[in-house]
Amino acid sequence: MAENREPRGAVEAELDPVEYTLRKRLPHRLPRRPNDIYVNMKTDFKAQLARCQKLLDGGSRGQSACAEIYIHGLGLAINRAINIALQLQAGSFGSLQVAANTSTVELVDELEPEIDSREPLTRIRNNSAIHIRVFRVTPK
Amino acid sequence: MLKAVAQKSSNSLVFQTLPRHMRRRAMSHNVKRLPRRLQEMAKKEAEKAAHQKKEQSKNKCHKARRCHLNRTLEFNRRQKRNIWLETHIWHAKRFHMVKKWGYCLGERPTTKSHRACYRAMTNLCLLQDLSYYCCLELKGKEEEILKALSQMCSTDTGLTFAAVHCLSGKRQGSVMLYQANKYPRDMLGPVTFVWKSKTTPGDSSEDRQLWIWLHPTLKLAVLEEMKTTCQCSEPVTSSVCVPDPLLTPAQEESQPELTDDKIGKKRKRKDNEKSAQRTKKTIGDGTRDPCQPRSWVSPTTGIVISDLTMEMNRFRLIGPLSHCILTSALRAAPLHTGEEDAEETPHHWWTDTSKSSDGVFLHQRQEAVFQLLGGISSPAEIPAGSILGLTVRDPRVNLPPQRSRALPHLERYRDDEQVRQLLQEGVPLECTHSFIWNQEICSSVTENKIPDQDLNRMRSELLVPGSQLVLGPRESKIPILLIQQPGKVTGKDRLGWGSGWDVLLPKGWGMAFWIPFIFRGARVGGLKEATVHSQYRRSPNIPGDFPDCLAGVRFAEEQSKDLLEKYKRRPPAKRPNYVKLGTLAPFCCPWEQLTGDWESRVRASMPGAQDDPRRLEVPSVPGETCQPSNEAGISENQPTKPEVTGCEAHTGTEVVLGQGASENHAAATGSQLCVLRNRKLLRQLSAWCGPGSEARRAPCRGQQEELTRKACLSILDEFPRALVWVSLSLLRKGSPEPQTMICVPSEEDLLQLSQDQGYHGPRESKHSDPFKSLILKQKEKKKMEKRRNRELTAPEGLAAGAPTAGQKALTKGLWSGPLPGLTSHCSRLLLGFVTQGDFSMSVGCGEALGFVSVTGLLEMLSSQSAATRGLVLLRPPASLQYRFARLAIEV
Repeated sequence: MAENREPRGAVEAELDPVEYTLRKRLPHRLPRRPNDIYVNMKTDFKAQLARCQKLLDGGSRGQSACAEIYIHGLGLAINRAINIALQLQAGSFGSLQVAANTSTVELVDELEPEIDSREPLTRIRNNSAIHIRVFRVTPK
Repeated sequence: MLKAVAQKSSNSLVFQTLPRHMRRRAMSHNVKRLPRRLQEMAKKEAEKAAHQKKEQSKNKCHKARRCHLNRTLEFNRRQKRNIWLETHIWHAKRFHMVKKWGYCLGERPTTKSHRACYRAMTNLCLLQDLSYYCCLELKGKEEEILKALSQMCSTDTGLTFAAVHCLSGKRQGSVMLYQANKYPRDMLGPVTFVWKSKTTPGDSSEDRQLWIWLHPTLKLAVLEEMKTTCQCSEPVTSSVCVPDPLLTPAQEESQPELTDDKIGKKRKRKDNEKSAQRTKKTIGDGTRDPCQPRSWVSPTTGIVISDLTMEMNRFRLIGPLSHCILTSALRAAPLHTGEEDAEETPHHWWTDTSKSSDGVFLHQRQEAVFQLLGGISSPAEIPAGSILGLTVRDPRVNLPPQRSRALPHLERYRDDEQVRQLLQEGVPLECTHSFIWNQEICSSVTENKIPDQDLNRMRSELLVPGSQLVLGPRESKIPILLIQQPGKVTGKDRLGWGSGWDVLLPKGWGMAFWIPFIFRGARVGGLKEATVHSQYRRSPNIPGDFPDCLAGVRFAEEQSKDLLEKYKRRPPAKRPNYVKLGTLAPFCCPWEQLTGDWESRVRASMPGAQDDPRRLEVPSVPGETCQPSNEAGISENQPTKPEVTGCEAHTGTEVVLGQGASENHAAATGSQLCVLRNRKLLRQLSAWCGPGSEARRAPCRGQQEELTRKACLSILDEFPRALVWVSLSLLRKGSPEPQTMICVPSEEDLLQLSQDQGYHGPRESKHSDPFKSLILKQKEKKKMEKRRNRELTAPEGLAAGAPTAGQKALTKGLWSGPLPGLTSHCSRLLLGFVTQGDFSMSVGCGEALGFVSVTGLLEMLSSQSAATRGLVLLRPPASLQYRFARLAIEV
């Protein structure tokens, strides 16, 4: 998952950093199907592209090729997800099509108290996400 | 396969050359289990082996030994010295067992599974038996308990026992314990704690219950200190008068064991008759004397401290699949409805609960929350330390016929208000209630457990084989407590890694829950996996990474002794010469001397900045007993000596001036070693460590101090000899190991690093070995003496041999005598040592954890430019190559 870098000046302005520490939690996720790919900013771009390509082409060990894959990107990784999808399409000589959906993901930030008399708080932050379906079409 | 068998090497048997999937059980005994082609060869081998076999001396025949009764007796006898966990037999078949801390524990699986266990922690589920952790219970008035315990912890280190969300019983808390009012010195150890929630139905009294969970090595010190602070001196006699019915048989059984030596048939039969009624498996702590008090009461404050060691089982599930495993293995207990049940069932407590509407409502709420867990894909999504109480059915009843993996179901995933509330606020407060807090209920649950044998018999008598066993009201209801364990919370990467759930069970039920968890696809790890878990979470491992507490010191001593023995077992030519490598302490980390050295070094570099008599204390050499140094050692010392003496001379002049001012200060902190755990200071240090982190952090943390001389001095003034816990990640090549030295890079190193892409680090030049000639001399002397002895008569020779043996023999390749100046022994200044280090499979490069001297760290940081700040060099003890690493302090 992408690290969610949002301007947090606004959030922290109202809270005393002496009293609370901000801890970000991972986004709520659904179980992964084999043809779901979550794009992140840490892995090398080429490696992620190759992984998608491999899924579409079918693996070396006799795995059947997927007819469609879903590429998910969150926050900063949206750009990269789009980039991967377009690269796949460009390299396929017209046999691949893309269809994109966008959504909003709720992220939970935990505020851990530093002093005993405070309760832990959580706050919800929204971040945008993209889900790109890359699928095979029979070339005309 | 044919090829493999045909080219059989001489030192393996035929069946050992077969591929794993073709091996069969008892192949070595029964030739016919081998493929027919190989039977010929195997027969020959078996005949050969039969001659070599030693005759086993057994006082009983195989059948008698396997008899259940005798086996129980034997098992009970064997666990008298070291406590066995309930899963011991299961572990002993699959793990390398070690005797540690008074327990028999599984160290690592016998199968090759390092990577598999890592994968289980990251993607699947790893199961650990943590029943060896000790539990101390405090009962009494809330204010009294808090007043007593507040002396033992400090608000500087984070939250304490009084944290609002922990005190209400909603969350588990963790705290560092110190001896009363001695912070920051005299560390006792880290503990976790759980308060029993206040809003328990039927509990009107104001007494609160607190469970403190800690590592067995820390127990003695913590218990003693707690008894003093709570003034609990009087042992409670009630628990002594009624010794545990399950413990007494184990004590009595020693008699028949003794008589077993001479096997008379008559006696044997008598034994069987006698022990038939009383042989019972030892459950709980078998080593404890039943007359020993386990709880203490205070006459003034009314606090009762009891030692609940081995009264409960604690299983830890780590990894994202732990929710699936929990929800599929555990089912909420059905309520007792009909009146006729009351006579049949032995579980009266449950019948009572089923009758009260509050109890039923609570149980249903707990069940609903538990079901929601199945739809959450990782334990990291739930607030850290959430607690959920539950009463479950006997998990043996719905055991799947075959081992399988519980996988997440998509249907279970919901995205509604309930799930959202659970994720944000955690488990509601009233759902934390569990009957496991009640001692009577727990013991009745343990006693009324249907034995495995009976359950299996009932299952075999089912009309339709394999169908569900219906026990009705006789089925046991087990109260459990689930505690969420947060994974990695510090730092920026891999958040939530290694999170999971701890399951607390009443004693006696260990195996009944263990097998169902495994049948749902959990992989089991041992102590080694626990260290890997803490290493990847970048958290200190108990007790190895607490050099300032007694258990940590003892652990380090044992470790260095083991390593030394291992080193000495190798021939001198086949082991690294640590003197030549410039490694002064390859087996232990001399923290005291390191911090002392840095202190005097900094003092010497800035005269007049501050002085106090503490400087005069010559760093003591910890651990080793040193013989007076020899000529060679002194000559080696000479380069560092002038510096030390200069510093001392300097102090001499100003001692008188500084004495008065710093006296109180010295009393407060002393020269004793301490580990920096003040969160404010740690946060400041961590901000200073990162390259250019100040610029990024500046807007959000306005009052962050700049790294100035003044700020450094204020920290050093407070903690003159402190260590700080750091994490290091290698920049390029290299994988660190424990006892790796953390060094300060010189300016040329950093310059070269920025210029050269392929630059891995500088190399240490070889040191000379001043002890080599000495060892040779000693050898010659020995030879001479031997020769002389031979000339003399035999008895005199023996007497002459003694004094030479008494003198400590030099070990080749190790520094003997007191260590010279630690920090400046090599070409790069020594900053600290690594305590855990390995190639990290989650990051893909070498990673290490360790301690550095705060004084040294500040000195280094202030001399480095912003771009290269936080870069250090690592050098393993058996290598001359330094490698670059980035240092970070995670809060």
